[in-house]
Amino acid sequence: MNNFLKNLCIIGLKSNQLKSIHTSAPALAWSKTDNKPKRFLRHNNKIYPPQSPDEEPRPAFVCVQKTNIKYSPEKLWYIASFVRGMTVDEAIKQLSFVPKKGAIFVKEAILEAQELAVKEHNVEFRSNLWVAESFSGKGMVIKGIRRHARGRMGEVRYQFSHYFVRLEEGKPPVDYYKRNPQTPQQQLANWLEQMRKRKIINSY
Amino acid sequence: MANSLISKMGALRIVPVIFTQPSRNTTTKHYIPKFKKQRAQKYLKVELPDPNEDFGSLSSSKIRQKMKERGILPPRPWMERPFYLSATGGVFEPYVPPEGDGKASIVSATRAKQAVELLEKKSKSMMAIRKIKSFEEEFDQKEFVLQAQDTYIKAHESLANNDKKALRIYVTEKAYPEFRHNSHSKTIRWKFIESLEPPRVVHARCTDVISKENIFGQVTVRFHTRQQLAVYDRFGRLLHGSEILSKDVLEYIVFEKHLSNLYGTWRIHDKIIPDWTPPKEPSKLTRVMPEPEPEVVESTQTTESAVTTPELSEKPAAPAIAN
Repeated sequence: MNNFLKNLCIIGLKSNQLKSIHTSAPALAWSKTDNKPKRFLRHNNKIYPPQSPDEEPRPAFVCVQKTNIKYSPEKLWYIASFVRGMTVDEAIKQLSFVPKKGAIFVKEAILEAQELAVKEHNVEFRSNLWVAESFSGKGMVIKGIRRHARGRMGEVRYQFSHYFVRLEEGKPPVDYYKRNPQTPQQQLANWLEQMRKRKIINSY
Repeated sequence: MANSLISKMGALRIVPVIFTQPSRNTTTKHYIPKFKKQRAQKYLKVELPDPNEDFGSLSSSKIRQKMKERGILPPRPWMERPFYLSATGGVFEPYVPPEGDGKASIVSATRAKQAVELLEKKSKSMMAIRKIKSFEEEFDQKEFVLQAQDTYIKAHESLANNDKKALRIYVTEKAYPEFRHNSHSKTIRWKFIESLEPPRVVHARCTDVISKENIFGQVTVRFHTRQQLAVYDRFGRLLHGSEILSKDVLEYIVFEKHLSNLYGTWRIHDKIIPDWTPPKEPSKLTRVMPEPEPEVVESTQTTESAVTTPELSEKPAAPAIAN
């Protein structure tokens, strides 16, 4: 059956080449278009209005994307959200201890963004940056075939993903995810308050 | 018992590295390795593309092979170089502003020398203006100077407004990149406040290019004005100048016209910066000083040969980039 499938594909390719006048690049589906997201990088071109001297200077930022990584976007998302709200140095340090393939891409992207920020976006100190945005996106998907029992076919998805990162100048917020963590003293005080407020039924 | 525990834990220290490093505990291996090959045959082999392939690092033969695979023809070598004929590429016989704008002490050596040269140059300027008048009958220095000032203001305003089309009207092709240099993604606030001294023509020259009839005229005008300039970066932070401070500016601007062209106009061509100008104000933008590059240590021949080999291997990659 494998042979049959192979023959099918080969015939498909051949006929495709015969049909079209341009027998070159368009034979490969993925080389037709650029297949790259464009909107995210447009943030780098935006020009903000001048500020008056008494205003707080607007923090600089850079956007960088890594496109068409051979990695699952779902798996990449975990790493992307892991570095969110960290300083650049901390993110790079942490990522070098994440034993996942995606961590390498994320680290590369952050380092690239850091370099770009210093070179082109008037950031003075390379360590004075934090990961303000970090997320993954779905790239191209190439579908393969696998064989199932009783002459059936299954689909295999070879997924590619994009990674987007925005570094902002300055210190990261203390509580990025707004979890509002309480100190042990606060927890104790809350607990005591709660215990004192409770009503004992049928007491009075 | 404690002793025995310690002795048991002590064995951990001798454990090989594989166990002390973080590793995966789960495995995707099938529990029967016998039919591994058959299981692999279930999948049809698909050749995945590599979208992030670095073609620059590939050798030229490898690139040729890849292009053959995909049926792509090599790009045609493009040997043309465009050049523009309606503007000259520089200033001929540029005006040399007198020392201290003509106010330096007469005793100074440069001032004395310049005074002698000035006589000779003035006669040449007269000749050039006569030539300009032969092409442009209504050329009048007083009127021209006002027109030049208008061009000067409009050119700067169109630069500040980022109006590329308008800028091309007031600026020659040679000056255009010099005008736009470093203005990318910046906000410029420029204001012309007043003219302190009426502008005047200080120098004029004519040259023919290629043929005798193809004549270009260049006139240098001295401007003494008061202006305001503030430059902001992409995020609106002040980079240079100020919007409340005005400064006196002394400039020698070269205007050019293609005289043979019936529709030629006087446009800004260049700016003459005398060597006695005060030094520039440092930028408000501060940067971390780059670390000095490590000095190359003189070494023996063995290391030299090791250094040269990667260069040799890089050479075939160079045409690959062109492809």
